[in-house]
Amino acid sequence: MRSPRSSLVLSGIGCLLLLTGCGGGGFAGDSQAQQSEGRQVTVRMLVNISPNLTQAYWDGLVKPFEQANPGIDVKIEAPTGKGVADTLPQQLAAGNAPDVVETLMADETLAKQMLDLSDQPWAKDTPLVEQAKLGGRIYTVGVGVQAQSLVFYNKAAFGKAGIDKPPTTWDELDAAMGKLKAAGYLPLQTGGDFLTGLQLLQLSNPSRAQNHPTWQQDVSAGKIKAGESLLPYLERYHGWIGKGYVDKNALGMKYADAETAFLSGKSAMYVMGSWFTAAEAKAEKDFEVGVFPAPVDKGQQYPGPQGATLAAPYMILKSSPQKDAALKLVQWLVTDPAAVKSQLKQDGNFRTGVERAFTPLEKQVQEILDQAPAGVPQGEGYGDATLPKGFNSAWNTEVQGLYVGKSPKEVAEGVDRWLAGRS
Amino acid sequence: MRKTFLWATVAFMLIPLYVLTVNAFKGQQEILGNPFGLDGLTLEPLGRALTNPQFDVVKGYAVTLLFVVAVNVLSVLLAAPAAYTIARSPKRRFRVLMLFFLAGTFIPGQVLVIPVVYVLKTLGLMGTIRGFVLFETTLTLPFSIFLYAGYIATIPAVLDQAAAVDGAGRLRTFWQIVFPLMRPAVATMVILNTFSVWNDFVNPQIILGPGSGLYTVTTGVYAAVSQYSTDYTVVFPTLLLAIAPLLVFFVLMQRHIISGLTAGATKG
Amino acid sequence: MTLTREAPVATVREAPRKPRRHDGLTTALMAGPATVLYVVMLVIPVGLAFYLSLTDWDGFSADPAFVGAANYASLLDDPELRRAALVTLLVAAAGTAGLNLLGLGFALLVNGASRANTFFRIVLFYPHVLSALVVGFLWSAILGTTGAVNNLVTTWGGEVLPFLSDPAWATVTMIAVLVWAGFGVNVVLYLAGLQAVPHSLIEAAKIDGATRRQVFRNVTLPALGPSVTINIVLSLVTLLKTYDLVVSLTAGGPAGQTQTVAYLILWNSFHDARLGFGSAQSVILMLVTAALAFVVTRLRRRGEMAVHQ
Repeated sequence: MRSPRSSLVLSGIGCLLLLTGCGGGGFAGDSQAQQSEGRQVTVRMLVNISPNLTQAYWDGLVKPFEQANPGIDVKIEAPTGKGVADTLPQQLAAGNAPDVVETLMADETLAKQMLDLSDQPWAKDTPLVEQAKLGGRIYTVGVGVQAQSLVFYNKAAFGKAGIDKPPTTWDELDAAMGKLKAAGYLPLQTGGDFLTGLQLLQLSNPSRAQNHPTWQQDVSAGKIKAGESLLPYLERYHGWIGKGYVDKNALGMKYADAETAFLSGKSAMYVMGSWFTAAEAKAEKDFEVGVFPAPVDKGQQYPGPQGATLAAPYMILKSSPQKDAALKLVQWLVTDPAAVKSQLKQDGNFRTGVERAFTPLEKQVQEILDQAPAGVPQGEGYGDATLPKGFNSAWNTEVQGLYVGKSPKEVAEGVDRWLAGRS
Repeated sequence: MRKTFLWATVAFMLIPLYVLTVNAFKGQQEILGNPFGLDGLTLEPLGRALTNPQFDVVKGYAVTLLFVVAVNVLSVLLAAPAAYTIARSPKRRFRVLMLFFLAGTFIPGQVLVIPVVYVLKTLGLMGTIRGFVLFETTLTLPFSIFLYAGYIATIPAVLDQAAAVDGAGRLRTFWQIVFPLMRPAVATMVILNTFSVWNDFVNPQIILGPGSGLYTVTTGVYAAVSQYSTDYTVVFPTLLLAIAPLLVFFVLMQRHIISGLTAGATKG
Repeated sequence: MTLTREAPVATVREAPRKPRRHDGLTTALMAGPATVLYVVMLVIPVGLAFYLSLTDWDGFSADPAFVGAANYASLLDDPELRRAALVTLLVAAAGTAGLNLLGLGFALLVNGASRANTFFRIVLFYPHVLSALVVGFLWSAILGTTGAVNNLVTTWGGEVLPFLSDPAWATVTMIAVLVWAGFGVNVVLYLAGLQAVPHSLIEAAKIDGATRRQVFRNVTLPALGPSVTINIVLSLVTLLKTYDLVVSLTAGGPAGQTQTVAYLILWNSFHDARLGFGSAQSVILMLVTAALAFVVTRLRRRGEMAVHQ
């Protein structure tokens, strides 16, 4: 009689054979199996899904490419997690990463997984390509530039409050908020979600960039502390909460709520990136929306450097079995005039030299971009100006603390403690 | 007094369901203006939820149902004979085996899902239906084996011996004589497993991932709703579609479901 | 589960039968597949989690470094985790109390066979059928800042109630929703326990002139002992791994104040690409869950013994 132990092992091997052996048959969902059939290749692209960029939009965007390249099938994949930022690591871990990923920028961790695009001739003429270089190599190519440090405002509200000229300094901004509140408006529309931290970064870029021109590098090198250097802005924001310039229940609002609230005329100002123009163009409203560059400290140059990020950044994964097709797709996405125009229009972004029909508000944003002395990276940053992964959401969580009773100093310390834990 | 209190509780339990149902048939303005009212009813949001490109509800149901059936069948096929071996064996090492399985009931699924990613990857099963079904089945094993072993212990061993005398092998004895008697225990486990597979979110979210293109009802709801959680013309109809069939099933089968769950927990 | 006082292993009776030649093979065929699957998909992953917790792996690079106990050391002074641990324990403790008080209370109210009682049981139980994810989205649509309740409040001229936008409110809301969704199960389990209370004892006590309260305290409650243990352990084990509801109800907010440990494990592991650190949290969660379940079972068992003596 065989001992049960050895027979367990025996049946174990049989079981494993069964698991791996019955490979192809029966079940659908084996993408590998489909890929190897015939000449048709599938390029999988993980994209950001937002109110502007819906799944239907992405499917439509790549259709002309598929028609021009009958051998390539582009499969749009939506994140299954909270967003691309946590879905991509999940897919990398699982060993089924997509071929192309949109939305993220290469950092030290991700760059190792990405294809070096430095020797692609077309890559050199894409927007912000120099700034986005990591260690002198190109990993990320984008479609255009997003202006980040914009304050959109309700012209009717400004008229009612007797403000004839948009504020240019922080103190003027404070004064304007006071008048707007007196006129019965919520002065500044904020929100929960990822919005809280994002808005403060956007708003502070122009003055921060003049105080610390190489902020991300200095923080990484330990020359300055991130939270400490942003403390003045935290204190100001804290003051706004106390004075009722922002809604103390704003954390209960999602990103889409905040946008809707501003567009319905309940609030006077809304700090947001240039993509807001796309939502503004679609909305029906009974007032005009204006825009001005985020304010600076007294004595600083105005307008200051504009927070500038890459719109629709694409990376190709090194592990991709379809590198040629993926390269072709990404090249098309960032150079084909029609594809570029469509993406710029859909998400309200800009690219020098690309003319498209602008709404009046978009025209103003383009002017702000043209007048800005420089474009600067924001928050987590990009290229060699990159902070550890997850900085933006950690910052966001900490800034939300201002609403729930934390002091600006505690928030700044929290940010610095987070960074200290990651270096 | 007791009755009033109970009816008040009933109202509290059912109000969310009422809000969900009426608002699934209203536009955003009507929902915001009067969330409890019945004015301006329309089928339009429900129609849009049914054709949402982010989440194909019908396919989601089909996929989830397939998982439920596959996990249940596999779980019974694996757990029942294992439990039989354990329950009928006097040997010490089988008691140890029982304890070994028992320990698994205390491992939270979230703890497992991350390392399991690498195990499945090594086996080439990550992102596949087979990988997902095998992992979900594994999660059902500890409790199933425990419950089945307990039940088999109450079935007289004389039955097995009679079969053995008639010349039946142990396998045949089990499947033909003992297994039919285990019906109540199996029914309990099927009910428990059906709910746990149907409602699971984190495991399909991570193991299936976006690459498979497969959505269960829960991951589909998440994809359709999380970005738009305050566009109520998306939220309410999607949620209604996700729960309505399940609720109908529950009401029809409530006696079996409740007694099954009770049996599962108290015997366990 | 170690919940029953008599594990079935103890009731195994020796079945005398002739040893057969293919016995080993048959045993392997019957117990083997389950054991192998269990080892591959559960035991190995648990070991792997422990191993990963000793590395600084991001989850996909080729070069994880062995860092010893460093992850465990940084667990101790990670403010996010400390807060999440506190929230998780609070949810588990308050939730367990709520589930069991309501569970037992309503079980006593709807005990007895009648059509109305069947209806009550169904209504109390139905949320359990819904996934926690759906329950969270539903309640956030009802209690959110622009949700049904706040719409009503503001149209009546009131101030917005911060159910989900204030940390304290949000935590309480989360616990309340967990209890709303789950206590029906406890009702049903306590009802099963009540069926097991010997009717003769209750009658005898009544004949002796005991009041209803006395009967409950001296007869019913002690007899319910095992049910109480089962209910508490089940509630604890379930609540300690709260994840789905956090995702859908609060998304961890406001200001990260409602993140639970299970939520943080996945966030750290994937979003922040700190798989090693996340795994260390997994190991701790696993140990705490097992320890709490064990301790509660032991304490309750001692309590029951004391009652029976």
